[in-house]
Amino acid sequence: MLVTKNVAELCSLLIDELYGELPSRIFSILLTRGRSSIPQLVQYTDMSLCELRHGLAVLLQQNLLFYQVDSNSEKAMYEANTDHAYNLLRIGKILEMVDSSFGAPAKDVMQSLLLLGQTRISDLVAAYQEKIDQAHQKLVKEEADPFLETNGVNGDSHAPKRLDLVIKTTAQLNSVICRLVEAELIDVVHAKTFLTPDDIYRDVEKEVLDTHFPGGPKGGKAKIELEEKIAEGLRKVRGESKSLKRKLEQNGTAAKRRKLFSGGGLSNGVHDVELDPALDPKQVIRINYEKCLVDLRNRRLVQCVTDTIGDTTAYVYGVLLKLLTKQLPRCRSDPMMDITEDDKDDCGKGFVTTDEILDSLKTSVDLSVGLGKAAKDKFSSRAAEKVSGHPPKKKIILEAEIDGDASADEEEEDEGSESDESDSDSDHKPANGTKVKFAGVATKENRLDRPGQLRQHLLLLAESNQHFVRHCGYNDWTVDFVPLMDVLREAELDSVIERKSGRQGLRLVRILRAKGKLDEKTLPNLALMKKNEIQQKMLEMQTAGFIQVQEVPRDNKADVKKSFFLWFVDLEKSINTLLDTSYKAMLRCVQVLEVIRQKEKDVLLLTKRSDVRGRERDVMRKEYYDRYARFQANEKKLFAQVMRIDDLVALLRDF
Amino acid sequence: MAGDEDDPAKIQILKDALYDAARENGSEARAFSQKDLLDFDIIPADNPMLLLRVVQRLCDDKLFVGITQATGLAWRWRNKEDAKKYTSLPNDETMMVYAVIDEAGADGIWNRTIKNKLNMHEAVVKTCIKYLETKGYISSMKNVEHPNKKMYIKANLRPSERATGGPWFTDGELDTAFISELTMIVFEYIKTQSAYRGSQAGGAGAAAAAGSGAGATKVPKKGVIRGGIDGGDSTSSSRGVKRTATDMSTDDIVQQQSKHPTAATKEKPKVFYPMPAGYKHYPTVTEIAKLIHETGITNNTTLGEADIQQLVDVLHYDGLIEPIRVNGRKGYRVTRAAKQDASSFQKRQQERQQAGGVGLPVGSDDLVGPPPTANGLTEAPCGRCPVFELCEEGGPVSPSNCVYFLQWLGLASSEENTNTLAGGATPNGVAGVAAVPGLVV
Ligand code: SF4
Repeated sequence: MLVTKNVAELCSLLIDELYGELPSRIFSILLTRGRSSIPQLVQYTDMSLCELRHGLAVLLQQNLLFYQVDSNSEKAMYEANTDHAYNLLRIGKILEMVDSSFGAPAKDVMQSLLLLGQTRISDLVAAYQEKIDQAHQKLVKEEADPFLETNGVNGDSHAPKRLDLVIKTTAQLNSVICRLVEAELIDVVHAKTFLTPDDIYRDVEKEVLDTHFPGGPKGGKAKIELEEKIAEGLRKVRGESKSLKRKLEQNGTAAKRRKLFSGGGLSNGVHDVELDPALDPKQVIRINYEKCLVDLRNRRLVQCVTDTIGDTTAYVYGVLLKLLTKQLPRCRSDPMMDITEDDKDDCGKGFVTTDEILDSLKTSVDLSVGLGKAAKDKFSSRAAEKVSGHPPKKKIILEAEIDGDASADEEEEDEGSESDESDSDSDHKPANGTKVKFAGVATKENRLDRPGQLRQHLLLLAESNQHFVRHCGYNDWTVDFVPLMDVLREAELDSVIERKSGRQGLRLVRILRAKGKLDEKTLPNLALMKKNEIQQKMLEMQTAGFIQVQEVPRDNKADVKKSFFLWFVDLEKSINTLLDTSYKAMLRCVQVLEVIRQKEKDVLLLTKRSDVRGRERDVMRKEYYDRYARFQANEKKLFAQVMRIDDLVALLRDF
Repeated sequence: MAGDEDDPAKIQILKDALYDAARENGSEARAFSQKDLLDFDIIPADNPMLLLRVVQRLCDDKLFVGITQATGLAWRWRNKEDAKKYTSLPNDETMMVYAVIDEAGADGIWNRTIKNKLNMHEAVVKTCIKYLETKGYISSMKNVEHPNKKMYIKANLRPSERATGGPWFTDGELDTAFISELTMIVFEYIKTQSAYRGSQAGGAGAAAAAGSGAGATKVPKKGVIRGGIDGGDSTSSSRGVKRTATDMSTDDIVQQQSKHPTAATKEKPKVFYPMPAGYKHYPTVTEIAKLIHETGITNNTTLGEADIQQLVDVLHYDGLIEPIRVNGRKGYRVTRAAKQDASSFQKRQQERQQAGGVGLPVGSDDLVGPPPTANGLTEAPCGRCPVFELCEEGGPVSPSNCVYFLQWLGLASSEENTNTLAGGATPNGVAGVAAVPGLVV
């Protein structure tokens, strides 16, 4: 992640928001100064050693730091981990996701983990034990004293009320952790967790060089071998955090547990909790954001299909994605580590079959909705069932349509006759697409059975211009995430452009994207817009960073008045600009929150008093309480907005 | 012999013969070389001197125009009417000016160019032009490429496409009203043809079937900014829905006819569904062009397929439609089918008119297709902020004095004294003790 000024400020503010000013100050110093040791930090911050240590401990606990201990001087060097700091924003979203796909107990555990940072399992168990005990005591007390029911402790969100604890026994806790570990949402903290990726790389490289190439790599072949060895070493380090999962998988009951898990109804799993092996209490666990992102990406994709196609198809897509990404550890594969890796071991078989999807669909969903109808002879099942065995070679460019060739192949081909689509512009055409012909499949009758309906949804997804799904075998479906996300990113950029510069602005940008560099003379004809309007729009969009301009001098003298000016779009640049714009907008939201907090300082101070806290409504005067309520509403609104912007950031940067 | 050649009568005959021969052998644009003319076998003994003399006479009568080509001298013929105009001109200057304008043809010529070409004084050119204009031989015209230049063209010529800018221009101006009107119709056609309009209860198409009976229609004339809604028939063709009974699956028809015989008139919430994969009838540019042609919307402008392609491309660039290739047939379909407005075109047209808007105001683009998708950034004040680039803590605009946020949070009106904010202290928020009056207790 590229740390711009806006990101840095945002991260510091977030830490301030969640963990207080002290850690936040240290964090921002680390961001500006880079890797520092404690003595250096003392110098930079004017804090006492004690304060500093305290702050660092908080940051470390929350995984917001990298550190490295120099083997000679035994001194630790600290560095800020902006990725994790940024991830703090996503807490809410991750909790919601866990809640909806794993149930409330899982969410509760995740929440505790988020609060505690990385935690030893035994500590987590102890914390829950305490909670459970407390609840029991309270229950007993409440039974004895029915009047002490509400207000008292209610304000503290973690004080249990009655026995409606989501986690009721430590055995249940154990089982929930097991499941989350299996889903890779929780992984293990190990010796190298706190090293920066660069440090890990250096360590691994050094080790490989020492053991395999004592005299240094000689020749091209050795270099390749070295690279492979390093990649392997890096993978090993990465794999260490999955040690717990592997251990669980060795246990024979894994499959059974998983079945219960995806079955949704977690409450009936309670009886089987004893089946889960007890976890090593000394293990330190933490939340694995990488995997959480995979699930968030799935949600995003489903959302996108809802928007472009429809609800029912989106539901089917969600099921497909869930099955497909079960074993997928992260959204983006690492260019260094994943080159040689055979995806097969790591990410499952790489496709989902129709039957698997069918088996996972909720029976309550009516698949016949959401699609248009027309007579059978209006469809070409050959075209619909086209199988693409290989992912697209180059990036899918939606607009790469070469004009004028449409008439060449205008004839209406029927299934029987042969027209191999050798069009130059069918970008999505696989390198050597195997064409399988299944005449009349599933369209024999107008009323389709359920598998037939499902198939229709899947085929529609495969036919979409975004290529949500690739039909990679007669009954196999997969998703090419990389090109798909590119398409989505572009679409997101488009919607920002459309909002900011109007539909005509969008039109101009997309023309440039399709045609490459153009001068001002060509544009009016393509866009069917007035020249002066175009000029104005172009300037406006250039300022916003959506388009770029290049000056081409007509002669050696480079007279500006005579130069051509070519407009063009640099997609990557636009997206990076948009990303930083988003950071800035988020930052502003948090800053504004601070501003209104200052403004309502008197009210907020009041609510901090122990005799007011928890019973604001009763104790405060009406106008004060109203201000307080309004502040809370605004706070909520601002944070919600930050979250929404993060959706965009996640898509642009992480998915 | 010599007397023979000089005989005016003979020259006259030869002249006429040569002129007629040239006319028969090519258009006014064809250049005849000396050899071509001799090959007519009109000039006895292929005598070049005699030919020259005859041609000279023709040029004097303005029936021939001499031009220089790479291969040497050549001539074109000119029709008698034009020639007469030339000969009727009072002086050489006028004639020269007329000749230059004539030569420029349908593209027209700029008065400055005339001046430079003939190396004449501006005043002279001006008087010549004035004379020619009053005579009705030439007229001024506008060229879209150079809207500010005063151009002239021969009166009986129509300005070329290059000069007028093609079908999208009226009087040298881009006719945005015409374009948006037409774009809307094309979009509507693609929308209804590429997605399935239905409701949960039954099949769609009742409305379509009802409309399909109507014949050709009047939809806005070129340049006229009015949706032609004088009768129900306009919908049928502008929507272009002619889904015949055979097009629909049989059970569909039965259903809708038994359940909703008057579905066309009854307002039911309708939605669009995408067509299943492999649909072969997404409208092509050829089909759209045919529709536009048949409806006669563009009564005094002829639109070719290339012109329609231009419109369709614009819709594609706007992100409203997308190309889709099925079995090598390139059709277009609407994007985000499920989000499309499914109320009838006619109804929306009426609403538009009632709202007082006559046609599309230039630059307002939300009338076609669904509203653009929003995201977190575009919703937040900063995403739309006009001073975003300047906004900086400590700068002239900053989060601490941002009015956009206050508005967004609904705090703008209640806070009269935003100025005090910068100071950091609010009127009654000094310290913990000062806040105590806030308590009821
Ligand atoms: S002025 Fe307000 S809306 Fe504009 S960027 Fe700054 S904080 Fe955002």
